[in-house]
Amino acid sequence: MSDRTVTTTVLTQVAARILLIPIFVVAIGIMIKGYVDIGDGFSAGVIASLGVALQVMVFGPEELTRLPVIQRAPKGTFLGLLIALLTAFVPAVRGQPLMTHWPPAGEAAIHFGTVEFITAVAFDVGVFLVVFGFGVGVTATLARAQERKSSMAGLFSRPGDAGEAGERS
Amino acid sequence: MTWVNDPNPALVVLIVALLAPLVTVILGFWDTRNTAGAAVATTAAAFAAAVWGAWNGDASYSVVWSETWGIRFEIHLDGLASMYAVLATGIGLLIAVYASGYMPLHRHHTGKRRADDVRFFGFLLLFMAAMVGLVMSQDLILLFVFWDLTAIASYFLIGYDSEEEESRTAALMALLVTGVSAVGVLVGALLLWSEYRTFSLPLLFQSAEPSTTVTWAVSLILVGALAKSAQFPLHFWLPRAMAAPTPVSAYLHSAAMVAAGVFLIGRIYPLVSLDTRVLDALIVIGGASMVVGGLVALTRDVFKQVLAYSTISQYGYVVVMFGIGGEYGVAGATFYVIAHAIAKSALFMTAGAVTEATGSARLADVGGLWRRMPWLAVGSAMASAGLMALPFTIGFFKDELFFAGADGRGQLIQWFAVAGATLSFAYIARFWAGIFLGPRQGDVQPVPASLVIPVGVLGALTVLGGIWVEPFRWLAEQAARVSFGEELEINLAYHLDTRTENLMALSVYGLGAVVLLTGRWWHQPVERLVKIGNRIGPARGYALALYGMNRLSDSIHDFEVRDLRSRIATILIPSGALVLLAVIYSPTQDTFRFTSIESGDLPLLLMLGVAAASGVMVVIPQDHLRMALTLSGVGFSLAVVYALLGAPDVALVAVLIETIFTVVFIGILVLIPRPILRYERNLRAPRIRLGRDAIIAFIAGSVAFVVVWSALSRPSASTTVIGRHIEQSPLAHGYDVVTVILADFRGFDTMGEITVIAIAFVGILSLMRAGRLR
Repeated sequence: MSDRTVTTTVLTQVAARILLIPIFVVAIGIMIKGYVDIGDGFSAGVIASLGVALQVMVFGPEELTRLPVIQRAPKGTFLGLLIALLTAFVPAVRGQPLMTHWPPAGEAAIHFGTVEFITAVAFDVGVFLVVFGFGVGVTATLARAQERKSSMAGLFSRPGDAGEAGERS
Repeated sequence: MTWVNDPNPALVVLIVALLAPLVTVILGFWDTRNTAGAAVATTAAAFAAAVWGAWNGDASYSVVWSETWGIRFEIHLDGLASMYAVLATGIGLLIAVYASGYMPLHRHHTGKRRADDVRFFGFLLLFMAAMVGLVMSQDLILLFVFWDLTAIASYFLIGYDSEEEESRTAALMALLVTGVSAVGVLVGALLLWSEYRTFSLPLLFQSAEPSTTVTWAVSLILVGALAKSAQFPLHFWLPRAMAAPTPVSAYLHSAAMVAAGVFLIGRIYPLVSLDTRVLDALIVIGGASMVVGGLVALTRDVFKQVLAYSTISQYGYVVVMFGIGGEYGVAGATFYVIAHAIAKSALFMTAGAVTEATGSARLADVGGLWRRMPWLAVGSAMASAGLMALPFTIGFFKDELFFAGADGRGQLIQWFAVAGATLSFAYIARFWAGIFLGPRQGDVQPVPASLVIPVGVLGALTVLGGIWVEPFRWLAEQAARVSFGEELEINLAYHLDTRTENLMALSVYGLGAVVLLTGRWWHQPVERLVKIGNRIGPARGYALALYGMNRLSDSIHDFEVRDLRSRIATILIPSGALVLLAVIYSPTQDTFRFTSIESGDLPLLLMLGVAAASGVMVVIPQDHLRMALTLSGVGFSLAVVYALLGAPDVALVAVLIETIFTVVFIGILVLIPRPILRYERNLRAPRIRLGRDAIIAFIAGSVAFVVVWSALSRPSASTTVIGRHIEQSPLAHGYDVVTVILADFRGFDTMGEITVIAIAFVGILSLMRAGRLR
């Protein structure tokens, strides 16, 4: 935001690159452990999208196109909403109140290790997808808007300001 | 196929009636030439079903509509429903025949297209269907739905000539007066529900006891009913509604819409009669309508205006009779509706036919038409005789019952009854004589037979009812039994003796003739009285209210759209005021107190201090980036507070939200052109605005402080809920209570929240990609 043109240092770039995978691992971990420990799909979604935002801030918006998972995340918002809606409304079709989870209270659930497969977790995954898609989508939109703005910077500012948004130049 | 062999009459009547508008509209869209024919055929079917249903009657059908609220789709084809269904469909049939001849002429005058007929007949029959549904409803909510459906259909019918301002105003007035008062019906229903936990009328009749709540509920419902029946002081919409095409006036304003009002009185009569004060109020309101309507009808010159005011006056009778109550009152009111509907719709149709034939709508411009239109003259003479209560018409009996009812209620009511009947004798005679007798005036063009035949049929029915009254008597008796709630018999016959009823009837004829003959003496003063009434009457109140509300709405709108600041203010100020009101009016016991501060609370206080300091820092003028960072400082310090309070889940979410919020904030700041940021940074508000803003901020901050203080210091009632959540989390396969609450216990809230996120996302995408930044 200052008048100097800011370039990211190699140190930042390396740190951002190295951190991406651990951030994702933490996010997934938080989501899976959600039912027994701190965190849930919402926090996981925010953490994962912060990881993506870090990449975009350091390397620019092209970074978004490199990983298919990230590229499709914004569309995932609606997939997530669909999953959540399904877990909410499928019970209604079966004559139960909305958001009745399966298996019912107290009954044993299918589990893999300590991870239990219950519809509440599916709902949480839906929440994760919505939040993650939202975070990535907003980051991407902002980053692209900045690129466009710097390409037509002359329209808005005096020549001296032209470089401010093109941080990587 | 038991359904076919043994059909439920109630369902059959309702379904056939509901099919009428549907089939008509479909056939009409197919080919507009079909419309009138289809309307006549389907209405005939509905009439046949209603008559068959009345004969086979007393069927009911009930199915759960909403279990939680105890609403049932409950219909019952009892005597009352049968009577009104037969009236609505029977007169509907004649109206459809009449309209099939009238609408081509109307199209010719107004330059409408044939396709508009589909709309006309569609809404006319929708009205009929809604009326049939209304009279069968046994559930107050279902009744309210049909009630409003009639209001909506009437809006489109009255405003059919939507290119004319008069029609639009009239339609809106009818909708507002009958629609707003219909809220009274709903509130009344809810009041009854709150007392007896049911919307079902039969159950209410069983369990209702006289009480203040019931009186209020019934009064509110009656406001809706009386407005629909155009009773004083909510009568003014009816004369305006005469802007509608004549078939609409003939139907809605004689047999259907206004009849719906008195029907409702009859339907809830067991509740109405619980409180004599309500009955007395009915006598007063009905009496006022009788007099006001009657006097004005005597002075009007436009045919349909005469008839409109006469309708107000004559439904006044019905209301008075309900108010008198007892066997004769209820029987009289019910019978009166039949007699009036038959005769009055004939007169409306006469008015339309005469206007089409002569091109004139005023009594002053026509006269002596009986030679030129003999059939119409005879038909409407019979109908008029009915309304004038002459012997050998069905109308004679309606007044007999009225007088018999008044007989038991003292001299005042008796005199009143005679006065009212005299008025109605006079204005109907004036109407008929003004058109068909006297010096010849006006050119007569031939009119289609379909404009005359319905008048003849109704006139013949009026006379038939005077000679062979049994079918009408039977219909009214069945209906009156339902209203009265007990056995009741209507005995109608001519008696050639000097009983009170006969003497009253004779005096009515005499007085009526006197009123007619002395017209030149009273005309001027009454006219002046009417003018004064128009100037200060309820219609003016309506106009002022409408104008005032428009002004209010405009000024709020103008303020709201001025700029972003006022847009936010229009949302925040009312909601803030509401919250403050809630705080003021909630019990203050054990709130607004301080607890002692322990040494362990020190870190907490420290972090709260940081949060407060960051909050103060935000207001100090600085550049945008620093402002964003200070703002996020508030959030981060609050996250620490959560962590210290032992809420790691909340703390985690707070930290994450604050982080991503700051990132997005800065991302947006980068998008704003640098010179604008610089300009804004150096912007200084004028001193006077600074002062004003400080005051506003102080008030807002104080309110927020009080609200938060009262909420936090209140002994928490939700502790038990939280305890239950903690207890039940393992059952729901979870150990982290917060997550289980989010995904399971309060999962539906989360559902709503993520839906909001998705919608906001779509908004952001369309704004940033397709919006101004493209």
